[in-house]
Amino acid sequence: MTLLQSFKNAVRQRSIHVCYVDTGSCNGCDIEVLACLSPRYDLEQYGIYVHNNPREADVLLVIGGVTPQWEDKLKMVWDKMPEPKVAVAIGNCPISGCVYNRPDSLTRPPAKSYIPIAAEVPGCPPRPTEIIQAILSVAPLIFKDWEIRR
Amino acid sequence: MKKTVDVAIPLGPVHPIFKEPCRIKCETFGEQILAAEVELGYMKKGIERIMVGRPWQEVMFLAERICGICSVIHNFVFIETMEKISGVSVPDRAAYLRVLANELDRMQSHLIANFSYCYTIEHETLGMYLLNIRETVMDMLEYLTGARVTCAYIVPGGVRFDPDEEDLSRIMKAMDKVEEEMLRYIRMFEHGPLIGLRSKGIGIMTAEQAELVHAVGPTLRASGIPSDCRSEHPTYQMLGFTPIVRTECDNFARIMIRFDEILQSIDIIRTIIKTLPEGKIRGGGTIGRGQTTHRGEAPRGELTYRIKSDTHGRIQEIAIQTPSIMNIEACARYMIPGGTSVADVTSAYISSDPCIACTER
Repeated sequence: MTLLQSFKNAVRQRSIHVCYVDTGSCNGCDIEVLACLSPRYDLEQYGIYVHNNPREADVLLVIGGVTPQWEDKLKMVWDKMPEPKVAVAIGNCPISGCVYNRPDSLTRPPAKSYIPIAAEVPGCPPRPTEIIQAILSVAPLIFKDWEIRR
Repeated sequence: MKKTVDVAIPLGPVHPIFKEPCRIKCETFGEQILAAEVELGYMKKGIERIMVGRPWQEVMFLAERICGICSVIHNFVFIETMEKISGVSVPDRAAYLRVLANELDRMQSHLIANFSYCYTIEHETLGMYLLNIRETVMDMLEYLTGARVTCAYIVPGGVRFDPDEEDLSRIMKAMDKVEEEMLRYIRMFEHGPLIGLRSKGIGIMTAEQAELVHAVGPTLRASGIPSDCRSEHPTYQMLGFTPIVRTECDNFARIMIRFDEILQSIDIIRTIIKTLPEGKIRGGGTIGRGQTTHRGEAPRGELTYRIKSDTHGRIQEIAIQTPSIMNIEACARYMIPGGTSVADVTSAYISSDPCIACTER
């Protein structure tokens, strides 16, 4: 591994930019992601910044079972993100559809049939600590030696 | 008359200030906004379609998941509608505990609304203070009901858990802390000169306009109309509830009314803990057949449930009217156009506290 690559690995671990898209959730997981920003959990002490802009994001948090409006738009948001990138599903909805996965429902879960999902955080809603733990454990794994593995 | 439009600026659906997907299309003439249009439909999940034909035991949890921010009030109003249909009575202690959970939920909802506003006008310091104090309220909600967001605390005929003296004194202590901090933050907001420049006289909606678009909740009360469904609720009447009204009609008034309601909720919680009657927390009863309409006051305004159920308590028809749709319409029609510049579109929109998840269901 070159010096440059080890430098990149070190920097990428400490600087993770996050964007979240709500693809039809009940808002419960949204406010738990927002609660991560609060001084108690303090997302920024780990070097994670919530920008909510896909063009400068490294991690995409997908919240909610996918509604018809989002079927093509979720892929568009994912394509806008620069490499290396990773998507994390927050809550039960993008994994299985949770309570909305019933006959007559308009949602079309799971989210991994639209974009590649690297990690899933189950819960209805998951606690803020679990969300931070998921981002911190999956993002460095994906970003490590990315240029070599490409 | 031919309308001269410079640029039609679309905001969203993925936008740094939007917590939920929504699209605002603004027709601009220079800096001035001539008209605005809100495009919805990104979050339609069809909850009412799922609810039909299912027993109340299942619909109770679905009703809670209409909106994650104000989940307790959805649970509250749904259960009260079912009780009204079947004539189930609630013990006094349970009725008080319901209001206690509801007011804690209202506090955290108002705090997150005001956090969003402070974050939108780029006053991040005050936003973070509010988000921090919200965690204390969330702890108390978790302590009372067992969950942070989706509690399912209220069941037909009563509530799930009974807090003892120690739990109540812990909630009381937390309320003292929240009140002390809130008074400080309210002073910061009220007297901050830069906050005043971004908030006072912006996004004006007069009382007549508010009546025309049927605005509800804090958005309506900030325009000087005292309308609150809580003053019709028997438990709140026992607690001596009176709605708070402000007459400035702008962004500042809408945020201040939420701050004042947080202080009012603290007073209500204190009164409840001091005068909590002894007794059972569940009275029992069976959910039966009938059809009725019932309404309650969500943090964002009036929430109405119309339910028709069969003999076994299965839902045959259900129609839910949530508050945000009227406030979003009021925002697009009156608050955003009329003198407001492009920079103030987002803050005027956020000041009406829109909740897309419960608007589209």
